[in-house]
Amino acid sequence: MTGFIGNAWIWNLYAVQLECLLAIWGILILLSDAFAPTSNRRTIGYMTAGFVAAALLYSFFLVPLQGSLFNGMYRLDTFALYFKRLFLLALTMVLVMAAEFSPRIESGVAEFYALLMFCAVGMLLIASVNDFILLFVALELVTITFYVLASYLRRQIPSLEAGTKYLILGALSSGFTVYGIAYIFGTTGTTNFDTLSRHLSALGAQPPLAFTFGMLLVLTGLGFKIASVPFQIWAPDVYQGAPTPVTAFLAVGSKAAGFALLLRVLFTGLMPVQYIWGPLLLVLAGATLLYGNLGAIPQHNIKRLLGYSSIGHAGYMLMGIAAGNALGVSAVLFYLGQYAFTNLCAFLAIIAVTAVTGSDEIASFSGLGKRSPILGLALFLSMMSLAGVPPLSGFFGKFQLFAAVIRRAQTDGHYYVLAVIGAVAVVISLYFYLGVGRAIYMQEAEDPSPIPVSKPMRLALYVCMVAMIGLGIYQLPLVNASIMAAKVFGLH
Amino acid sequence: MDILLGIAVLLPLAAAFLAFLFPANKPKAIRALAMFATGVSLLITLVLFANFNRHESGYQFVHGISWLPTYGCSLKFGVDGISMTLLLLVGFVSFCGAFVSSEIHEREKEYYILFLALTSGISGTFCTLDLFFFYFFYEMAVIPMYLLIGVWGSLPPGKHGRTKEYATMKLTLYLTAGAVLALIGLLAIYSISGTTDIEKLQHNWVATNTQMWVFPCLLFGFGFLASMWPFHTWSPLGYAAAPTAASMMHAGVLKKLGAYGIIRLALPLLPQGARHWANLLAILACFNILYAGWVALTQKDWKFVIGYSSVSHMGYIFLGIAALNVVGVSGAVLLMFAHGIMAALTFGLIGFFYHQTHNRFVPDLSGLARKIPFIGVCMVMAVMASSGLPGFANFVSELMVFLGAWHQGSTLFRVATICAVWGIVVTATYLLWAVRMSFFGPFDEKWSMLKDAVTFKQKFPYALLLAVLLTVGFYPRLLTDIIKQSVATFVPADSEPSIAATPSAPDLAKVQE
Repeated sequence: MTGFIGNAWIWNLYAVQLECLLAIWGILILLSDAFAPTSNRRTIGYMTAGFVAAALLYSFFLVPLQGSLFNGMYRLDTFALYFKRLFLLALTMVLVMAAEFSPRIESGVAEFYALLMFCAVGMLLIASVNDFILLFVALELVTITFYVLASYLRRQIPSLEAGTKYLILGALSSGFTVYGIAYIFGTTGTTNFDTLSRHLSALGAQPPLAFTFGMLLVLTGLGFKIASVPFQIWAPDVYQGAPTPVTAFLAVGSKAAGFALLLRVLFTGLMPVQYIWGPLLLVLAGATLLYGNLGAIPQHNIKRLLGYSSIGHAGYMLMGIAAGNALGVSAVLFYLGQYAFTNLCAFLAIIAVTAVTGSDEIASFSGLGKRSPILGLALFLSMMSLAGVPPLSGFFGKFQLFAAVIRRAQTDGHYYVLAVIGAVAVVISLYFYLGVGRAIYMQEAEDPSPIPVSKPMRLALYVCMVAMIGLGIYQLPLVNASIMAAKVFGLH
Repeated sequence: MDILLGIAVLLPLAAAFLAFLFPANKPKAIRALAMFATGVSLLITLVLFANFNRHESGYQFVHGISWLPTYGCSLKFGVDGISMTLLLLVGFVSFCGAFVSSEIHEREKEYYILFLALTSGISGTFCTLDLFFFYFFYEMAVIPMYLLIGVWGSLPPGKHGRTKEYATMKLTLYLTAGAVLALIGLLAIYSISGTTDIEKLQHNWVATNTQMWVFPCLLFGFGFLASMWPFHTWSPLGYAAAPTAASMMHAGVLKKLGAYGIIRLALPLLPQGARHWANLLAILACFNILYAGWVALTQKDWKFVIGYSSVSHMGYIFLGIAALNVVGVSGAVLLMFAHGIMAALTFGLIGFFYHQTHNRFVPDLSGLARKIPFIGVCMVMAVMASSGLPGFANFVSELMVFLGAWHQGSTLFRVATICAVWGIVVTATYLLWAVRMSFFGPFDEKWSMLKDAVTFKQKFPYALLLAVLLTVGFYPRLLTDIIKQSVATFVPADSEPSIAATPSAPDLAKVQE
């Protein structure tokens, strides 16, 4: 079941080198903190960001490998590389944010960076998962570090609340996942996705009820990661309470990790039973879209707003998965790519503003367009990109997802309903995203003093903005990358 | 020559990016850049118009580059008689809009960037030959308006009890709702045909029963932007709150995008659907004409009067489209042009005196023509054009719409035509009332500080727009020839009125003159 390269340890090492690099650097950070306590907390952050950026560049020299490694547990295909690059990108930006944020962390700044690194190692593993056992291990590595990260501001009640909430619900969903894995293993005798898929195809008839039960439990755990209805309750509270860099990493990294798992599990292992999960996801996508976008309307805290918006975006991406065609999968991949830039841009701007104002309320962003034109523009553009307005990248992301759903609707009319719900959600979302825009440009600030923006921050903002506009106008590079990555599933 | 079209479309966008790099404390340079970009675009458009082959009905100056080969879409521009006419409209209105933007004295940099992006979005929609880019530019034109109104607009308190923030949010949400509805229809067409090339799509790919539901998606989706009754309520409020140049662009050009979407995509791509829904469209058109006209009768704010008047005029355009014959649809296209110029002129003039009076409440204004005779004369002419007096382009186009609708033949359309003709009387009533109240009558001393347009720079935009209206009014064949040719390529010949029995509209117009 493993290719010939599976036995060569050198290839195994080649496949996990990014994970190793990050883990080693994370340990080095911890050591440096122990032996040479540095007074400048930002420097470590910027150095780490630089290192991860270098790793990101290096990842473009890696070549995808055929077949699976580590006895079929691990893959380094185009899909895995696509997500690894996405996670490294997110980590770079989050580290810049963390460095900006570090003065607000009382103690353990180095541990904060190190935890982010270890969390990213888990995400990199998730990109390559090809077995339920590794899925669980990698998922736990990510989730457990997030428990700590979310409650890192330990003297602030909201942060503690966020951590606790995430811990309780996360532990519960992990329990569901492992329970479901046990059922799947019990009914099919395998945890490997390829074997599972072969087994289910050979079965021909309806799988046993216990298997379906197990599958639903696994989907519960993954639904928690992506914050899809009905496992979305935690998102607004945790987004609001967690330290902002952690919120950003949750919104970009953790969400993408959840989708990586969902795509991999559904389109390899569970592909033969698409007729079971397809209609389920159709319903969930519609419900998630409506919940996230309607819930965001009355919000006046921008992090909470982005929490609801992240539920809404999970709904959009579920549209692509529910569509179940090649266009749908590549649309989800494109969407995640551009969503990373867009959301990171928003959180970068939020961190820079709250460092001065100390408030996450949308009202405190009033007059931002005058106080700091670059921050105002960055936040406004990211809101518009989230709303899906051309010429920004979010527009093309949504365009592809709608195209995928409508293509599917040619054979199954129910999908038109999903497309209409998506369309309604776009209009609703524009309302609350423009509410932020109104604060930025149409309302006057109480305190009109300018807001300083540090150089690394400025650089990160420019990168995100150029990416948002660039990918909105010239979509081809990311479209091609996402199509290449989606090819591993061999869909039509 | 072909590449010039792309330059005319994208030049304002390029200027917007360039303006982004300018320092914000150099408003004059940015303004000059905006004038230059829109001016050169207009010049290029005129050159293209002069070189337009008037005996060819298809697309000309076609030029494109492959953009997303995986989706088969390409950035491709080309114009036929219909889009050439409307491109001229964008050229004139945007240039004049940039001219009158001198009233903006706050955050000029952002203002001009948005204005230029808006211009490119609109002309892009008119010229693109690709479904994806059609939607791309269409949506791109909607959002700059949100900020233009919200930041630089003004809405005097009144019975409506709304703020400019409310007005601009309502406008944006309505237009986006329409846009996503249209998107579903467009994507359905794309997934059936597998191509986004508008030229290729005209070979009728869509099965008849699918057309029945795709057509209303496009009709109502684009209808939102064209302020189709009952989706029109955003429009007068939005214009009232918008700064002058934004009202000019919106009422003059942006609104026409909706009608253009119906004519360019819905009619040729879904002919059976169009026939099926034409009767409903005609009924809605009557509501547009009479209901909006009736509401305009009760308005006291100049911008609301003109706002409702423009909703009412969109009804004639819908009626012309619903007629589904060459005369009717061509009349609708010509009316889009004529009404666009006229609306831009009127909003420009209102902006001119409102900038000084800070009051546009009709009963408060009196005898202004003594103090600002040039503006008064222009306003009288604009109002006459709007009421459909012979000699202006509006007359010809409205006549064509009436003829087209009458010749459609069914009783419904005859009744609709009678309603529409009655609508002209309503229009004349409220417009003449507003002009008489505010420009004539006893002069009120509190307006003695008003200054007229005296310099060439001040007079030029209004004079230019008036000249265009008169030129097309006296020589409508300049545009109707090319419009009719292109319309005839997709409007079914069987519903064509027998030319021998009736003189064609332009000929009639000449008789009137």
